[in-house]
Amino acid sequence: MKQAEIDHKTTCYHCGNDCADECIEQDEKVFCCNGCREVYSILSQNGLCGYYAYNEYPGVSQVKAGKRLDYLKEPSIIRELTDYSDEKFTIVTFYVPDIHCSSCIWLLEHLNKINPAIYHSRVDFLRKQVNIRFDTQLITLHEVVSLLDKIGYEPLISLQDVVKKQAFDKKDNLVKKIAVAGFCFGNVMLLSFPEYLGISVYEQSFRQFFGWLNLAFCLPVLLYSSTGYFKSAWTNLKNKVLNIDFPLALGITVLFVRTAVEILTHTGPGFADTLCGLVFFLLVGKFVQRKTYYHLSFERDYRSFFPVAVQVIDGANERPVPLSDIQVGQRILIRNNEIIPADAILLKGDARVDFSFVTGESVPVSKVLGEVVYAGGRQTGEAIELEVVKPVSQSYLTRLWNNEAFTRTQENRVQTFSDKVSKYFTFALLLIAFGSLFFWLPFDLPRAISAFTAVLIIACPCALALSTPFTMSAALSIFDKNFFYLKNTAVVEQLARIDTIVLDKTGTITINGETSITAHIAATETERQMIYSVCANSTHPLSRLICQYLDNYIKISTNNYYEAPGRGITADVDGHFIKVGSAKFVNVMQAETSSAKKTEVHISIDEKYIGYFTIQQRYRDGVTSVHSLSLAYKLFLLSGDHGHEREALSSVFPKEDMFFERTPQEKLDFIKQLQQNGHKVMMMGDGLNDAGALKQSDLGIAITDNVNNFSPGSDAILDGRSLKKLPAFLKFSKDALHVVYISFCISLTYNVIGLSYAVSGKLSPLIAAILMPLSTFTIISFTSIATHLAAKRRKLI
Amino acid sequence: MSIIYFLIGCSVLLALVFLGAFFWAQRNGQHDDLYTPSVRILLDDDPDENDSKK
Amino acid sequence: MQPDKFYYDNKIVRNFGIATVIWGIIGMLVGLIVAIQLYKPEMNMHNQYTTFGRVRPLHTNAVIFAFVGNAIFMGIYYSLQRLMKARMFSDVLSKIHFWGWQLIIVSAVITLPLGLTTSHEYAELEWPIDILITIVWVVFGINMFGTIIKRRERHIYVAVWFYIATFVTIAVLHIVNSVEIPVSFFKSYMVFAGVQDALVQWWYGHNAVAFFLTTPYLGMMYYFLPKMANRPIYSYKLSILHFWALIFIYIWAGPHHLLYTTLPGWAQSLGVVFSVMLIAPSWGGMINGLLTLRGAWDKVRDDVTLKFMVVGLTAYGMATFEGPMLSLKQVNAIGHFTDWIIAHVHVGALGWNGFLTFAILYWLVPRIYKTELYSKKMASFHFWIGTLGILFYAIPMYWAGFTQGLMLKEFTPEGILKYPSFLETTMRILPMHVMRSVGGALYLTGVIVMAYNLYKTAVQGKLVANEAAEAMPLPKLNPEAGTERWHRRLERKPIWFLIASLIVILIGTFVELMPTLTISSNIPTIASVKPYTPLELQGRDIYIREGCVNCHSQTVRPFRSETERYGEYSKAGEFVYDHPFLWGSKRTGPDLQREGGKYGNSWHYNHLMDPRLMSPGSIMPNYDWLITQKLDTTSTAAKIRAMQKLGVPYPAGYDKIANQDLDKQAKGISADLAKDHIKVKSNKEIVAIIAYLQRLGTDIKAGKTANN
Repeated sequence: MKQAEIDHKTTCYHCGNDCADECIEQDEKVFCCNGCREVYSILSQNGLCGYYAYNEYPGVSQVKAGKRLDYLKEPSIIRELTDYSDEKFTIVTFYVPDIHCSSCIWLLEHLNKINPAIYHSRVDFLRKQVNIRFDTQLITLHEVVSLLDKIGYEPLISLQDVVKKQAFDKKDNLVKKIAVAGFCFGNVMLLSFPEYLGISVYEQSFRQFFGWLNLAFCLPVLLYSSTGYFKSAWTNLKNKVLNIDFPLALGITVLFVRTAVEILTHTGPGFADTLCGLVFFLLVGKFVQRKTYYHLSFERDYRSFFPVAVQVIDGANERPVPLSDIQVGQRILIRNNEIIPADAILLKGDARVDFSFVTGESVPVSKVLGEVVYAGGRQTGEAIELEVVKPVSQSYLTRLWNNEAFTRTQENRVQTFSDKVSKYFTFALLLIAFGSLFFWLPFDLPRAISAFTAVLIIACPCALALSTPFTMSAALSIFDKNFFYLKNTAVVEQLARIDTIVLDKTGTITINGETSITAHIAATETERQMIYSVCANSTHPLSRLICQYLDNYIKISTNNYYEAPGRGITADVDGHFIKVGSAKFVNVMQAETSSAKKTEVHISIDEKYIGYFTIQQRYRDGVTSVHSLSLAYKLFLLSGDHGHEREALSSVFPKEDMFFERTPQEKLDFIKQLQQNGHKVMMMGDGLNDAGALKQSDLGIAITDNVNNFSPGSDAILDGRSLKKLPAFLKFSKDALHVVYISFCISLTYNVIGLSYAVSGKLSPLIAAILMPLSTFTIISFTSIATHLAAKRRKLI
Repeated sequence: MSIIYFLIGCSVLLALVFLGAFFWAQRNGQHDDLYTPSVRILLDDDPDENDSKK
Repeated sequence: MQPDKFYYDNKIVRNFGIATVIWGIIGMLVGLIVAIQLYKPEMNMHNQYTTFGRVRPLHTNAVIFAFVGNAIFMGIYYSLQRLMKARMFSDVLSKIHFWGWQLIIVSAVITLPLGLTTSHEYAELEWPIDILITIVWVVFGINMFGTIIKRRERHIYVAVWFYIATFVTIAVLHIVNSVEIPVSFFKSYMVFAGVQDALVQWWYGHNAVAFFLTTPYLGMMYYFLPKMANRPIYSYKLSILHFWALIFIYIWAGPHHLLYTTLPGWAQSLGVVFSVMLIAPSWGGMINGLLTLRGAWDKVRDDVTLKFMVVGLTAYGMATFEGPMLSLKQVNAIGHFTDWIIAHVHVGALGWNGFLTFAILYWLVPRIYKTELYSKKMASFHFWIGTLGILFYAIPMYWAGFTQGLMLKEFTPEGILKYPSFLETTMRILPMHVMRSVGGALYLTGVIVMAYNLYKTAVQGKLVANEAAEAMPLPKLNPEAGTERWHRRLERKPIWFLIASLIVILIGTFVELMPTLTISSNIPTIASVKPYTPLELQGRDIYIREGCVNCHSQTVRPFRSETERYGEYSKAGEFVYDHPFLWGSKRTGPDLQREGGKYGNSWHYNHLMDPRLMSPGSIMPNYDWLITQKLDTTSTAAKIRAMQKLGVPYPAGYDKIANQDLDKQAKGISADLAKDHIKVKSNKEIVAIIAYLQRLGTDIKAGKTANN
């Protein structure tokens, strides 16, 4: 408690950040920035200080550039964003990444106190969404958003708000089906046990009563809960595939028919409990298999990265225009930190564009008037005006999404193990079934039939069908404990199968925008000015970096400037011959040997060695562990930027396997090439420029530092922190697959045991009723335990 | 023991009512968000507490 | 648009709170008295109205329906309003509910000592009160569903689901188990007989425990525990899963109360299976509760309410584990009929229900009085003495249970019973009974301290009778979120709910007619089993009035130890005329199923006058008033007619001549007594009860059994 007291002096009352340097005070509370103070004063004016009662420092720091929200006034955009709207009220759902504690919930659900025109607001904490219903007459969407922004909960608005969509597409009633199956299962057990517990002869009437009830309970299970299996079995048959659903559907049918017959003819109790149990467990298996990460989306494309609208200038006035309506020839205005949505010609202003998302090149590039600026670049510095030359969808970067890699559907990409097995399984099953049928047929018909049905019942691959889901879902949750989020359980198998790993550089193995440059030069002011002048001529990122470093010099004119690509520059600056470039180019005898993973630019003036700059990219601490993979996997580096770190990275990748200056399209094709050579390729990337490759690869992993931020469409999202665990992940995925294999064997043995009863046509309901749950529970417990142990071995838990 | 018919009847009927309840809950979206409500009950909306802060 | 301003009704909560405390003290005091009577029979103050057999039901009813009942309503009325963000549907209904419930309790307090009882455990109250209960319960239901319908919070928190389940299920159970046909305003006969009656009773009995002592408390736990710890429940998902699982399994565990009786074997085993299954959902709840406090144990250290909660949950866990264990046949063979069951029940009652109630009171009273708790010291004193009380109560009872259970089963190497006299085993466990009453006393002390503490708290604060609150009105569902049909249906749904539960109640009432159809049941009949003679019938009703069933069972289980001790084991066919069944659930004294003809009439006369004359050291109270009180034969005719309605084959018009037979038999007995120089008029109650005792279990000996 004491500690807290002291903290209060120096930490922001709103966000808890340290604000020792510049403190803003209000009501003897300190704030780290005006943003935080503003939020506080808004809340206190509206009597919402309860916000601070529930948690200490509930707020999020407000030090960030104010965004332009004018586009929210555009009717067309409003239509896009709202869920529902009429003249009375409007409903809109926002994705608010900053939602993080109970105070957030409290505040966001009390918006009405700040502005009574907001009727109602509900937070979904896990999805980080707030659903707002406001009076269409009294307040506009724009005002609502700016209100949210003011109180520190800026919604993340993008045209393709996938996260929001997830809320609605939960339109299937698996849960209901489970409920029905479970309910019937329970009651059927109740009514079947008397049979097993020895109901006596003079209680025949009960027998029949229970039988009828059982039959009644089977109907909803057959007609409602198990429909999915019949549908899928049917569709698969039409596509000439035998997947596991076929024997399941077959088993269910036979179970029901035989139960019905036995009960109606009073020849036996039937298999009602087995039937209901089977369906129930199967559905539960389906349920655990489906894991949803509310706050993640694997389907994002450039639209969720590009702005919703762009300022278009026609004549005097400028207005926001939705991205989709941007036409060629329009004049657009791009401010600092905004993204250029379409290929355009620079008309006005000093464009210094950061293409890191497109090329992976982290250093901003200057563009001269009249030059074409590719879409996806982010302007840094003053506002610029450009003229659109290509529609958004046809631009350099976005063209990627027209590639067939994106039109391809996910499903036929993965052919899971169980699919392969179940084909053979089904054949074997039918073989045995008919075998026993024809074996008995000559002697006694009823026995033949009962044997036939018994086989189909007992061999119904319930346990088989459950092995994969339970193992994989267990694996999935292990992964996401380690910040590795897989799209679905099939991805685990993919992970186990890949043999080639392709990595993007910037943002993947390096951390975005963290380049440091240090000078080791003994140069006078004039000399520094000369160096600056020389480098200023070059568009090479390293030159640009040096210029950035040696800022505020006046450029002196240079003569006979010569740039040797990838090696260096030479030029004369008022009589002095200046060399800038690699050690070899400047021919330095390596006195001060360069350490790995550093890029160096050496400088000599009049052949006199001055010194060198070291440019260093911050690498993720996982890089070395990635190297360790080179034993088991083929490793490639596929980077969009210049090769000036070839040296540095040679410790991780074999030289010949590093490729630089690759356009997004080339990256995609490279992957395709590998696949044609029969490789199973895993692509790891972060930027839009990798999107194509990620999609094309057998397994695309998007790396990100903040899972709520943009990440290109992929099969899995990996939190940068966990890159070092990649080898463990790969090993673990293989373990998981082995668990599946073993559990398959187990369930097969169960089937064999059952069959030995079945073929003889002497299958008592009791045996079925015992075998089915028994095998199920064995599988469930085995898979979950085994997976857990494997994870322990890989140090993932 | 014909009472058993009756008791089973009652139990099943009761169970059916609850099943109906479950269906309603599912339809109504009672189970859409299975976290926020558990936090929401901790937040009480006591007007004076707010006014006092004004 | 401005939020609705409205007020939570705290007055009703306060009232139920007061009732909880007062009835709690009374009920536990009565409990203490009956506990002492189990080793000092004189504690009945030589007065029939305060004798164990009559007062024990008073204790159970007082603690279950008065103490726990009021506590439930207190908790529901407090949490429901806040969870639904609405005042209770109707203040009038709230008042009716409150006073109606108190009226029920008071009438129980009056009728039970008078010996007006149906002898159905936990449902002893006679039919007029049953009807009153039904009415009040429906009032409660309307009030609750009304509130749910006009709620301002769309999501129905899991606690409320538990409340709903409680209401619906208890409604059905109560009605089914109260199917009785009135003889007079204060006397009725259960419609079902023997085995069937037993099954109904324990189907009810078990589910009463499930849905009156468990589900509402789980609901309150899910609301108050997070509030007290100021952190959300560990896993809300689990709590929902837990709810639905519990609801669907609980209903059929009943038969485990009838193991080794003449209930069909498969029905018994069924009870066992489902009881065992129950562990999962029960523990789901407990674990969810305890894990909520993970990382907050420091809070627990200095917050007494949380201490109560933790112990309460632990007790729940123990009880719900022990229950299924006890339902295993082997364990049950030893545990059943002994003090073990008493221990089991009280771990649940004192630990789970008691402690949760106290926790809620300590948390809630200061809040509605806008003040601090008067004394934290006293509260923690209450906690410790209460815990101590539970230990002092449970441990000796377990001990006593094992001891007696094993002694009764023990054989000498020669193969004869080691302890042929039941009394010997009873004497052995008397010390434990003494300790138990000490434990009870400790627990009661704690409650009294709490009462004082809460009183002081109330005095120092001021009741906020109507607590201001505000919330936005419930908006229509997002039209985009689903089809119109769905949207419109939705608004009606809560009403559907009410309708559904009403249907269930109607189904329950249709039972009242149904039995007449089911009377002719396919129980293996025994030719030699004949209806009771009028005198025996009257005697049986005295047996019921005096609550003999509270200490003496009437069912011999098929163990050698029991057949040796009591005689041939019971057959279903023997009970076909028993309206109600009198199998009992506890053997403080020996079983009486085969009592008939074991001793002479004079033995019974003397034994009833002063048990210690016949069996020195017996803890059975004197029933000397039976000798002085005159048997009321005016009711005979009505009773015979009632029995005839229930299918007991008395010859037509027998009701008119019944009393002649009665006199004849009575005279015979008094003459027989006279031989032993006992002068007693034939019109005394003792004659009737002797007649009944002598009849017990003799039919089967008489004729050859035509058993299936």
